[in-house]
Amino acid sequence: MFFFQPTTARIKFSPTNILLNTLLRVFAANFNFRPGLKKYLKSDQGWIDFTIGFRTDSGSVKAAVLFKNGKVSVSKIIPEKVDTMLTFHSDGAVLKLLGATPTEQIFMVLKGQLSPKGNQSYLNLFFFFLSLLLNSKQKKLMEKERKISKKELLKESPTAKTELSDDLIKRFGVRMKADTIDKNVKYLKDPFLSDYGLDNFPRVKKYLDIHFEVKPEVCPELPKLVTDWHKANGYETDKNGKPWNPLLRKAHAYKYLMENRKPLIRGNDLIAGTTTTKDIGVVVYPEGHGTMIWGELLTVPHRTLNPYDVSEETLNILHHEIFPFWSKRNFKEWVREEYDSPLCQQIDERFAIYFIWKSVTISHTIPDFPKLLSMGTSGIISEINDQMKSFAKNSNEKNTLEAMILCLEGLTAYSKNLAKTAASAAASENNPQRKAELEKLAKTCDQVVEKPARTLDEAVNAMWISWVGLHMESTNAGLSLGRLDQWLQPYFLADMEKLNSGPEQAKYIKHAVELIGCFYMRCTDHLPLTPDIANWVFGGSSSDQAITLGGVTPEGDDGVCDMTYIFLKVTEMLSIRDPNVNARFNPDKNSDTYLKRLCEVNLITSATPSMHNDNEVMASLEEFNYEIEDLRNWSATGCVEPTLSGKHIGHTNFQMMNMVAALEMALNNGKHPLLNWKLGPNTGEIGTGKINNDNIADKPFKTFDDFFNAFITQFKFIIDQSIEYNEMLAQAHQVIRPTPLLSSVIGDCISKGKDVTIGGAKYNSSGAALIGLADITDSLLVIKKLVYDDKKVSFADLKKAVDENFENDPALHAMVTKKVPLFGSGSDEAVAMADRIAKFAHDYYGSKKHYRGGKYTVGFWSMSNHVAYGTLTGALPSGRLSGKAFTPGLTPEPNASKNLLDNIRDVARLDTKNINNNIAFNVKVIPTPEDTREKTVNDMFSYVKTYFDLGGMQMQMNVVTSETLKDAMAHPENYRNLLVRISGYNAYFVTLNKDMQLELIERAEYGM
Amino acid sequence: MFIRFILSNRPPPNHNLLFDDNMMQKTPLILDIKGNSLDDGPGIRTVVFFKGCPLSCVWCHNPESKKAGAEISFDKTECVGCDTCIQSCPENALDRKNPFFIDRAQCTLCGVCVENCPSGALSMVGKTMRIEDIVAMAAKDKPFYKNSNGGVTLSGGEPTLFMDFLSDLLKHLKDEGIHTLVETCGLFEFQQFEKKILPYIDTIYYDIKIHDPDAHKQFCGVKNDLILKNFIKLNAISAENGLELLARTPLIPNITATDKNLNQIAGFLKTLKIRQARLLAYNPLWHEKNEKIGTQNSFQNNKDMTTWIPKEKLETYRSIFTEKGIHTG
Ligand code: SF4
Ligand code: SF4
Repeated sequence: MFFFQPTTARIKFSPTNILLNTLLRVFAANFNFRPGLKKYLKSDQGWIDFTIGFRTDSGSVKAAVLFKNGKVSVSKIIPEKVDTMLTFHSDGAVLKLLGATPTEQIFMVLKGQLSPKGNQSYLNLFFFFLSLLLNSKQKKLMEKERKISKKELLKESPTAKTELSDDLIKRFGVRMKADTIDKNVKYLKDPFLSDYGLDNFPRVKKYLDIHFEVKPEVCPELPKLVTDWHKANGYETDKNGKPWNPLLRKAHAYKYLMENRKPLIRGNDLIAGTTTTKDIGVVVYPEGHGTMIWGELLTVPHRTLNPYDVSEETLNILHHEIFPFWSKRNFKEWVREEYDSPLCQQIDERFAIYFIWKSVTISHTIPDFPKLLSMGTSGIISEINDQMKSFAKNSNEKNTLEAMILCLEGLTAYSKNLAKTAASAAASENNPQRKAELEKLAKTCDQVVEKPARTLDEAVNAMWISWVGLHMESTNAGLSLGRLDQWLQPYFLADMEKLNSGPEQAKYIKHAVELIGCFYMRCTDHLPLTPDIANWVFGGSSSDQAITLGGVTPEGDDGVCDMTYIFLKVTEMLSIRDPNVNARFNPDKNSDTYLKRLCEVNLITSATPSMHNDNEVMASLEEFNYEIEDLRNWSATGCVEPTLSGKHIGHTNFQMMNMVAALEMALNNGKHPLLNWKLGPNTGEIGTGKINNDNIADKPFKTFDDFFNAFITQFKFIIDQSIEYNEMLAQAHQVIRPTPLLSSVIGDCISKGKDVTIGGAKYNSSGAALIGLADITDSLLVIKKLVYDDKKVSFADLKKAVDENFENDPALHAMVTKKVPLFGSGSDEAVAMADRIAKFAHDYYGSKKHYRGGKYTVGFWSMSNHVAYGTLTGALPSGRLSGKAFTPGLTPEPNASKNLLDNIRDVARLDTKNINNNIAFNVKVIPTPEDTREKTVNDMFSYVKTYFDLGGMQMQMNVVTSETLKDAMAHPENYRNLLVRISGYNAYFVTLNKDMQLELIERAEYGM
Repeated sequence: MFIRFILSNRPPPNHNLLFDDNMMQKTPLILDIKGNSLDDGPGIRTVVFFKGCPLSCVWCHNPESKKAGAEISFDKTECVGCDTCIQSCPENALDRKNPFFIDRAQCTLCGVCVENCPSGALSMVGKTMRIEDIVAMAAKDKPFYKNSNGGVTLSGGEPTLFMDFLSDLLKHLKDEGIHTLVETCGLFEFQQFEKKILPYIDTIYYDIKIHDPDAHKQFCGVKNDLILKNFIKLNAISAENGLELLARTPLIPNITATDKNLNQIAGFLKTLKIRQARLLAYNPLWHEKNEKIGTQNSFQNNKDMTTWIPKEKLETYRSIFTEKGIHTG
């Protein structure tokens, strides 16, 4: 409950106040008197009671809407206790909100016109009520917006340039052959599998069409079953009124879910099981951010970006049965109640400074698949039973282990149910080939996940079934698959050894490609639930299920094997955004042939895989003294971040941090300009010479270092806040969503009898994504060189120009952008500055206590937040204009140098010791159409190989021209599968918001 | 405020930039050093452009490379109109009423405006560079050369105009183990070339533009007998010791890209038993370069000279060579 402090001062109310009160009364009357609306005031547990307050900063407006016992009333006085308080920046904003589309509502919050405080579920519920009244208007507005923007695009580019889209398609038709065979490739005669194209796999091709053509639909199955169980068995306390042990509660609910969810096999699939009951389902996790979609239930099918269907039945289930139950029982609200709306949470909910992923999920790890495949759930259960003996009755450890067993039993039950589905489908199947496949599937699901996998088919099915199981336990965001080539290779080899003839083997290899193709397409069967704000902040992202290929084995041998190339073939043919394929290249062990193949796949798909220098990533983790076998077994997680497979809860994306906010706050003495919020400490006003803080001696910013320190002070402040919130949310996870199933497949949890959420894993950490490194580095360089070194401009004049978005000083704008050597230009000073910032961040995060043990780590990649945060940031001393995107990850500014090699060298030179959560370095290269495939691949290879030789860590290439992207913007119908790498993850260009599209277009482009 | 600090920072006139236009000078001005070139020889290359050329081809793609002396360039698209330059020019050589902005008759190339221009719209074309500095710039790309079999390309202008400098530079590059390639128009004194240059180059790209001596004189300003003779000699050496020699013909509509000329060139190459040559597609995007350095060319309004050569035509040109057994891929 949020406590509002009523002011006693007399304030004059504005006409808006009268209007608002009137409108709210009309709203109330509608709900009180129209039965068709009134029914929404009720959940299956009774009336939904809550209060929303409205006020302006100035106090010119005050009102409250009270929902109580099925009555809606409006009050001119805001009661002392309201669930949610909406504070508006201006009178105009008040009225704007009431007629806004959900997207507009979000932008009001983002741009500081509206700051909500208090329970967010109820805010969303209120928005839902508003949209019950207004949704036809909202739909019309959205439709109109779409039409206008389409018209604009077509005006610029009236006819489609089909030669551009055709060129992308033609890339699939050219295929190189491997010229050498890696030593651990045992059976592939041409590792590049150049004989095969998608047309050879009609089954998979059909799924690809579904992927692009079927509109995703919200699936209520998971939340419904889980909520039902809790209604019957209690949440805070059990049926007997005894407080629930969170682990056991979670485990029982999970088991109920897994036993009762529909065991489905998609038509013609080689792999059993589905994440939802829909073709492409959107999963709702009510204890996570599920209620965030409440306000959009009616509009989500009609929104421009990422629309989902919501059937009427689903809407009613979610609204009446599910969301009311979870309004306060979710991570954010737990923190709000427990810590009384802490500042750290308020900052998060304004979006412009940081976003803490634990408000949604922890996830972001790699389960120990080899263990699951080789032991089966039955094997793990017996291990747990053995371990159980060493713990006392009723001990936490024992409860934890019991919870693991319940979850593993639930997972087993699901696979047994799948076996039954397969058997009965086989019985009624007329097509003999399919009948045989289904019979085989029935046997497979009977064997796995319970017992060890023996064949590739069993292994892949076991993996998928447990993958579904893990997604039923916690939110699908960034949970990653790990080193599938390594882990599946033994099964592939075992199967191949049984075959004697060449043709049999060739046929089997083709089957393996098809099977992995089916697996990829299975991974596309679900999407994360994205409220519209996420379309702006994380646009186009799916759940980022990273797969990692290549590198070295735990023993240090060359890890590139038959399955590596099979996965690469599938990656090439499907060219889909998720699974997110990451390739490790170990310069000491992996072959140039393999790296060339990575480049070829990157060229054909235009965006994937992302490539990592194995040695540098491992070197960046040296400080942790991880066991060498575990270190060599690292996988990329979510986007690019390293996790030690199966043993590490690295929550590698615990936050998206806008570092540039700290710079803006340093320029404004602790105030965030766009949010119009003085939240940071006083560090001194620029130019006035005034000092607001006794701690600052003399005049502020006598030297550049003085200003740098102000930046650091602000940065520390937001780091501290963000970590405080992370640790609060971490507690919420321990209470609300422990993850016993995941814990059973993460090293050491069983022996410690500890859930991963409280530090059961062998290795622990949380990793930050720090955004805006290039923009900050460049801005600081400008300040240092022009203000302090060369004294070409006073700090006050520069600040004034920044505040005015350089509109009144084009010459200064020209000078800051042209006359200061930027990061990526080959300047030693720029690299040193970037290192200085990175080192501070690394050391400071590393010094903070981490709740599960281990450390906080830092990486420089940005998902798509460099665009979103850019939108929320004013002009910068670097000359970047207000609202413009930052550079993705730590990619240099496009005008840093005309020479790509300068970019490559500078990024490679950064000290990777400061970067223990990886980077995303984007490069846009374009092939010359006349060049041969070999020439283009060799050019790409030369860049990547040299970058790695120079100590570069990670690189990802977009191989597409800006001209093509522009054409795709105007004519999306020709580019449904145009894949682009944002920063760390892939997305379909045509599904991105306009700002993100423009950012991609404006990236520097280098011809080859 | 802007003008104020700029005027106080005026540098002394830079006499290094004051070059007489003597073609045979010892130290060249360097027009540009371009890294990451993928089109000037094998692999990833650094291209060093020398300023100054003994030919005067009417279509010259790099008009700024013709004169050996320094020039001042103005790129109006970069200019933000702050007028700092106008106020700081000691010769009053800058005037917005002048279509080229700069009165080059007045300008002493003192460089003050360039120094003060915040946007880089004004720049000095051509600067002296020490051999060590050029080599150092190239050497930092060695890791790229290694993985791509690339190296350094010396181009122009005409690098052989500066035999001693070129020779020294090549020697240093070879000491660094860098692959070297020289692009030449072929107008040089052979003995000098053989002695000073040949020992240090791995590859020569040799332009044969026009075969007919009179036409060559007409369009390139000099006769081509020396060019062809030199080529024959180099070809003999190449046959003997494996020196890589590649003849290249730029396709200039109606000038070099005529059936007659191409047939003659192909025939010439055939008699020398050459199997590989290159045709360089015409790039029409060079006209604005003239404006920047205050020159004009007579082709500004010629349709053929302002558009790309159509693909089919390119194929016909290629077939002239293929018929004589010469690849142009
Ligand atoms: S270089 Fe020429 S135009 Fe520029 S300041 Fe000197 S004299 Fe004037
Ligand atoms: S050329 Fe440079 S100094 Fe002169 S007006 Fe333009 S931007 Fe200003």
